[in-house]
Parts: sequence; structure tokens; C-alpha cells
Amino acid sequence: MIVYDVQNLVKTYAGAAEPANKGISFQVRQGEIFGILGDNGAGKTTLIKQMVNLLASDSGEILLYGKSIAQDSLYLPSLVGYMPQESHALNQLTVGEALYYSAHLRGMTRRAAIDERNRLLKIWDMEDLRDHTSSRLSGGQRRLLRLAVATAASSKVLVLDEPTNDLDPQKRRLVWENLRRINRDRGTTIIFITHDALEAEKIIERVGILHQGELVVTGAPHILKRNLKNKLRLEIAFEPGRPPTLATDLVPRQLTATRWQLYLGQHQLGDVIAALDIDRLTDMKLSSATLEDLYFHYVDAV
Amino acid sequence: MSTRSKAHSYPVQLVDLVLIELSNWRWSWRSIVVVSALVPLFSMVGLSVYARDLGSEALHTVFSGSLVMSLMFGNLGNIQSHLVFMRFQGTLEYFATLPIHKHTLMLAIIIAFFLLSFPALLTLLIIGSALLEISLAPHPLLLLVIPLCVLPMSAVGALIGVSVRNPQEGGSLSVLTTFLLAGLGPVLFPAERLPGLLNHIGVINPAARAASALRQTLIGPRSEQIALDLTILFGFTLCIFYVVGKKLDWRAGHTL
Repeated sequence: MIVYDVQNLVKTYAGAAEPANKGISFQVRQGEIFGILGDNGAGKTTLIKQMVNLLASDSGEILLYGKSIAQDSLYLPSLVGYMPQESHALNQLTVGEALYYSAHLRGMTRRAAIDERNRLLKIWDMEDLRDHTSSRLSGGQRRLLRLAVATAASSKVLVLDEPTNDLDPQKRRLVWENLRRINRDRGTTIIFITHDALEAEKIIERVGILHQGELVVTGAPHILKRNLKNKLRLEIAFEPGRPPTLATDLVPRQLTATRWQLYLGQHQLGDVIAALDIDRLTDMKLSSATLEDLYFHYVDAV
Repeated sequence: MSTRSKAHSYPVQLVDLVLIELSNWRWSWRSIVVVSALVPLFSMVGLSVYARDLGSEALHTVFSGSLVMSLMFGNLGNIQSHLVFMRFQGTLEYFATLPIHKHTLMLAIIIAFFLLSFPALLTLLIIGSALLEISLAPHPLLLLVIPLCVLPMSAVGALIGVSVRNPQEGGSLSVLTTFLLAGLGPVLFPAERLPGLLNHIGVINPAARAASALRQTLIGPRSEQIALDLTILFGFTLCIFYVVGKKLDWRAGHTL
């Protein structure tokens, strides 16, 4: 079943020379975890805001479960939980109050909303913060609260704008684990923007890469990776001194004074390893291409 | 089993939204005490010095005008700044993603700020009448008059709040509007002391009409004038809120 059917969206902000979105079309299916990657200014937040009906498009249409989101004012809010990138909403409420009211206003009974508040406090590891006023939380805690608020009352679809920015590694892991669990246990469709391509790869099932207002590609990462010419990523570190010599014509990219990175095909691996000056080698890491590599591949190709 | 139903009815949503909005006491109670009670009280005391020489009618005008000033500060100013905050800090977006109507939210904001400003109004009423030695004779119509005095002030505050380009502009426009409303007509000064032009403008000035209605229902005597006062206050409120509803940023392409 198609959850979101985005058709040829165009949006130009007043006074802007270039459109923020240039005819974007894609679909998201039921129960899918769909990631949107893109550089700063690529039009990700613009796209997301149009998808949650907070921003009007100049042209194009968005269907949610086959119905235009523009038809009925209350249709989308009853199905979609949205987490904005930045917001100071509910700043004067305590964490517990913010969760309770969000659940209740989304249609839960008062008793169920209290249970939902307690459940959310537990799964988002915020039980100690229940009576803290939101405005006094740290940036990371506020982001976690926004995420918890978006997931209150178990909407069928979650649309999340950078859910892991500002979070420490432990909390980032909590976010990805909880999102995966929500998706698995409740069949919730999750659409999110992230810059954290390496970590997001753990849960993304399909990805859309935005660049300069255009959707460059959509697809499952493992399928898109087949298009990469060099599917292996080799990171090597040497003692300070001369750059590494390679047996092939591959040109490594210098990451730091002592660390280099290169992409290579499987057939080149043996020659490259054999030619390395092992005495000077201090570290080496070989991995398959990541979502981040995929992102650079498609963005650089434009 | 899902415990989630369709959106709640208007009254249920309204109760939640009023309670959420009332949480604003956490930041606004100090400003409400200062601007809604103390400032009008000081101005009342100051103006009464000259009004005592002009007779009881002038004293009554200073008293009712100060009550209107309190309503303007407590509702017009606070609703303006609250709506500007909601627009620029993402609060309005949060509410727009919930299954509620914007009119319910707007009504909740008005009720909440009225409730927050009510203690200041009551304090001013009691202390002011004692200081100015005014005998109050409240009429039951006061129950209708007070909301009808609050609503136009809230409406003007909301209109400024949804229209301005930044918080600074909102603050300046709010102060300017408050002083214009207080000065254009018999609000703090008796009609016979004002130039004819100001009295003509005062006919449609909601602050002047509110002062007149409050004076008649709190002190007396009442005349047919009160029907005109309430009609103008009601009509003004409807017109302004219609414009506010049109201008308020909400879900794309929806007016509800």
C-alpha cells in the first residue's frame, strides 16, 4: 500500500532566485523506513513541511493513503506525527504534561493518555525529567522530547526532521533502536531527514537523495550500491612522512596528516595491499561502501 | 487494541488547550501583575488628583477608564506577544499538526489570558474603588459586559500578533495601539473635556465603548447607551476576529 504519493512538488520562496524544490516526485510504502539525505539547503525541510501540510506548494500534489492532504484540514494530523527540526512549543509545560496533552489531543482517552505518557517517559529514558519544565532542558533533551511528542498516541506515520542532531552517542542509539521497534511492532511508516548517514544506515530501508532542490535518486541502499563502480572503502594510516604509494592509479584522499581513504574495486584489492609499505602502516580499515559513500557518489555525479 | 479514537469534541479540546495556555502563568504572571494592576492603579491615582476637582462624573470616568487600561494591558498586549512567540518559535506549527481547529486554539488563548488577567482586574476594582471613594453598584449585566470588554482587546492583540513581521514590531505596535485606544475618545477623560473630533472617533473606539459599559454596570446609572456600547463591542470583535482567522498561518490551504 502506498502511504505517501508525492507528485511533482515545486516550491519557490518569495524573493528567492532558485526554487527550493524542483518537481519532486516519490512514493513511500506502508511500514517502510524512508530516509531523506541531502546537503544543507538541498530543500529537505521544505519538502518535509509540505508533506505535513505546513507549507503550501506552488504546484504538485501530495496524496496520503490515496487522499489529497489539501482536501480535509484534519485528515493529515489524525494520521501523521511530526517532529520539527527546531521548536519551542510547549516550553512552559513539564515533560510529563507535554506528553500527556499531545497524546490526549491526538484522540486518546484521559486514562490512556496517562498510560501513554508513562510509556513514553520510559522508552525515551526521560522518567527523571517528568516534572522538569521543557524550557530548562538541554538541547539534546529537548530534541528527545520533541521526538517523544511526535510518537505520542502511535500515529500511523512519523515524519521526523533530523531526529538525532545534538544527541550523544548513547541517545542516538536509543533513537534508532526505538524507531526500529516502533516500525516493527506497530507497522508505523517512518520518514526522516538526517545528516547522520552512517548511523541511519542501520535502519533505513529506502533512501531519497536530495541535491539542490532535486531528488537525485530513490531506492534501497543495497540496490543503489550496485551502481557504485568501486564498492570497497579502504582507510589507511601511516606514520608521518611520505604519502602512501599505491600499485594502481588510484588517488587516495587525505583525511588527516596521517590518514588516507580510497575507494576501489574488489579486483584491485590484492595489488593495493601488496604495494603498501607495511612497516610504516599504523592502521587499516576495509569496509563495503556506506550510505554516506552512496550519497557522495550521486551528489558528485550531478 | 488501539486506545486512539477520532479527534475529541470541541469542548474537550478546548479544556486541554486552555490548560496548556494557562501554563503561561509561569512566564507571564509578573508582567501581568505589573502592567495589568500596578500601572493602571498608579495612573488611576495620578489622574484622580485632577479629576476630584471636576466632580464625581470625572472620577467615575478615570475609574472605568483605568479598568479598561488593565484589560488592554492584560489581554491586548499579552495576546499579541504570545501569538508572535507562537509564530516565531514553532508553537503554532506544533498545534497545526494536531487534529484541532485553529478557532479552538484562538478561543483557548483568549480564555486563558482573560483568566490570567482577571485577578489584576479584580484587584484594581477593589483597591481603585476604595481609593477613589466610589460606591459600586454592580448590575447582573456585568457578567455579559466584562467578556464583551475583553474580547475586542483580545481581538486587537491577536490581529497585531498574526500580522507583524517580528517581535520588536509587535511590541511597538501594541504600545502604540494601547495609547491610541486610550486617547481616541472618552476612556480616561470625560467626554466634555475632549475635543469634538475625539468624541466622534470615540463612538467606534472599543476602549471608549468598554469604559462606558463598565461605568454603567459597575456604578450606574444605566441608559439605552449600553445597548449601543455592547453592539459596537460585539460587532468590532466579530470583524477583527474574522480578519485574524484569515491571516493566521495554519495548515497550508486550510482556513480551519
